Amino acid sequence: MFGYYFKLGLRSLRRNRYLTALMVLTLAVGVAASVSTLTILHAMSGDPIPSKSDRMFVPFIDNGQPDGYIPGSDHIDMQMSYKDATNLLRAKPGDRGTAIYGTGMPIEPPRTDIPAFTGFGLAPTRDFFAMFEAPFLHGQPWSVEDETRGANVVVLGRAVAEKMFGEANPVGQRLRMGGDPLTVVGVLDEWNPMPRYYKLIGSGPATGEDFMIPFTTAVRRELPAYGSVSCSESRDSGFASLLASECTWIQLWIETRSSMDRSEMHALLENYASEQRKLGRLKRQAPVELYNVMEWMEKQKVVGNDTRLSAWLAFGFLVLCLVNTVGLLLAKFSVRASEVGIRRALGASRGDIFRQFLIETGVVGLAGGVLGLALAFGALALIGMESKSMAAVARMDWQMLALTFVMSIVASLVAGLLPTWRACQVTPAIQLKSQ
Amino acid sequence: MNMEIRPILSALLRNKTGPILVAMQVALSLAILANALHIVNERREVAARPSGLADEAATFYFSVRNLNQDTPDQKLAGIKRELEVLRAVPGMVSAGQVSQMPLSQSGTTSSVSADPRQERESAYTSVYATDGAMVKTFGLKLVEGRDFLPHEVPEVNQTLENRIPETILITKALAEKLWPGAPAAGRTMYFGVGNEARGVQVVGVVERLQSVHAEVGVAAEYSVVMPEFSYGRPGTTYAMRAEAGQRDRVMQEAERALRKSSATPMILRIKTVEGDRQDRYRADMALSWMLVTVSVLLLLVTCSGIVGMASLWVTQRRKQIGVRRALGARRIDILRYFIVENVLITSGGVFGGVLLGVGLNQLLVSKLEMTRLPLVYLIGGALMFWAIGILAAYGPAWRAASTSPAMATRST
Repeated sequence: MFGYYFKLGLRSLRRNRYLTALMVLTLAVGVAASVSTLTILHAMSGDPIPSKSDRMFVPFIDNGQPDGYIPGSDHIDMQMSYKDATNLLRAKPGDRGTAIYGTGMPIEPPRTDIPAFTGFGLAPTRDFFAMFEAPFLHGQPWSVEDETRGANVVVLGRAVAEKMFGEANPVGQRLRMGGDPLTVVGVLDEWNPMPRYYKLIGSGPATGEDFMIPFTTAVRRELPAYGSVSCSESRDSGFASLLASECTWIQLWIETRSSMDRSEMHALLENYASEQRKLGRLKRQAPVELYNVMEWMEKQKVVGNDTRLSAWLAFGFLVLCLVNTVGLLLAKFSVRASEVGIRRALGASRGDIFRQFLIETGVVGLAGGVLGLALAFGALALIGMESKSMAAVARMDWQMLALTFVMSIVASLVAGLLPTWRACQVTPAIQLKSQ
Repeated sequence: MNMEIRPILSALLRNKTGPILVAMQVALSLAILANALHIVNERREVAARPSGLADEAATFYFSVRNLNQDTPDQKLAGIKRELEVLRAVPGMVSAGQVSQMPLSQSGTTSSVSADPRQERESAYTSVYATDGAMVKTFGLKLVEGRDFLPHEVPEVNQTLENRIPETILITKALAEKLWPGAPAAGRTMYFGVGNEARGVQVVGVVERLQSVHAEVGVAAEYSVVMPEFSYGRPGTTYAMRAEAGQRDRVMQEAERALRKSSATPMILRIKTVEGDRQDRYRADMALSWMLVTVSVLLLLVTCSGIVGMASLWVTQRRKQIGVRRALGARRIDILRYFIVENVLITSGGVFGGVLLGVGLNQLLVSKLEMTRLPLVYLIGGALMFWAIGILAAYGPAWRAASTSPAMATRST
């Protein structure tokens, strides 16, 4: 009977074109608005690395001044100082750890037709690539030796590598960066974790970093820290004093073997902090904070209030469209009271009528879903025009596509419940009488 | 005038579903619309704040990095040379070295206080550095004191020292914060608090200069300008203002002249204050547009709902209207009946909408850090929906009024 009712549904839709078109359009617009805002919300709040997001941590150690310290207040900057970062890496508190800072260098292409430009990149320690599962197109991360020596090596991003060297494998070639030639040891493949959770504070370009250079190399060459540098006390000029100061500018990540090790890690960090307090370096009696990936994204407000507002608004609009559809369906079904009467007289039970009309609303929902999907694509394209970082997030994936149809059909079914129930209540006798 | 409200009301209550649906739509729309328009207005206001620059459309800047191997002293000579080249471009009003630009979202912030013995700093300010040309290049208005004198601008080798200036310009808003109601020129301001605080003398107050981040709220108006001709770092920034309307041409010529003046290649990043303003407020404008679009759609859907419902009732009650007309009701009576009915339903919706709107606003304030909704939006929205309700019902009501009395006697 499903097929029969489905065909009936289609036929009845065609019979009353304008009303149907209005219903489908209203539903489609409501669904499109909700799905497009939900897609963005979903992309921004999705887990970028589900296999290990509960065992990768960002520690925070408060190294601010004792004056003006209010416990529990918001932190100005949640990065680490050079001393803390290097101390903690050396202590090896987990399975792996990495210190990162953002930097930039002028890149002089080997080809004379391209002018020199400033590249923006990261200076991580070697474990970064394994921890964040960065995919390599050519080559591999620099060796432990390179890291220890602070060698002149670099890993390029795919876009920059293709711009400089074309399609060829550039591993082993040298590229002049910041005045010195660096040897290319690897090229990263297209890597777009959304958001770029490894460096949320003072983040780099939305399309990805141009290069990655060893942390020790960047420090040796005194490459400036791009992104946020926050100093709670004055310091002398020069890179050496930056390293010796309590300015925070380094992002530290620690990976443990399992999520159970979190309390152990916390204890370790607390020990370290109290040691440093005894040495007189840390002046505040502040607790050590530890955040896993999702907590870190929450703390750094990756999903802004505006995104949430858009999603709420879209839902409110969908509810309005639903109420509107209920009204339209009521209108549509009420004029078919005589048809219902005849069917009932011919032996259809209330349940049969219910099923028939509900399937009809389902057909409306399906049509609304198709149109809604097209509109959602359009809406996402419009939203993507706002900025490059938005364009990376405003993309439909399979889950959202399925959600569009599910939402549309469920919405139409919910909207159809009242009108369908009303239609079932038609008493056949009255309808047959008034011909 | 007999409004015959009671019969209308009792007729409505007997057949509740339709009216409730319409009232719900009006309520939802009003609640969402009032909040949405409030947010749109707020964002537009924030984005319209002046930066303090006299002619934003004509102001632009170059971030220059010369790929030579000069010593710091050679770099100093190079900067002076480049500034001369820039100033010589026809149509250039003023050019000078700066450390950062307003609305660029990239720069230095520092805490300042009126008295080093304070517990907490008075404010966080954007710290601009200039070679003395900023007031002219930006066209800033001095409301107290004076601009820097040439001898007050030291040449500082940034690789060697981090000099705290001796004199400083501050914005009027900051002066009000530090010394409310009193003149600021001649007073000493301190960077930081406690023993480490360093004092500078305020020589002048500018009316307005926004911070680099142009935050929401008064923090955007806290800026200080310090005199420093800095050299030694690999890159430097030049801010320039062209004559009104000439920016693009002057920009191109300046770039050409600058590149020609250097024997070695240079990396030049060209940005305009207009572009920075667009970047800073892009997200806010996008949200505004989204809210406006959804608001328009909301109105359309609600209108279609009201019109649809009204048409349906007219069709359903043809016989009843026919009877009334046969009994002597005039067209205008029928029209009035339907309009009053519609106003009643819309009023129910508006009442619900006001409550819902306040509730929604409470939710937004508590969960999403939005601001309180001023009553005027709800009142305006209510009036608008009353008007819409009447207009939307007019068409079907007129059709109903045109029903011929003969309907009453037909038995279809």
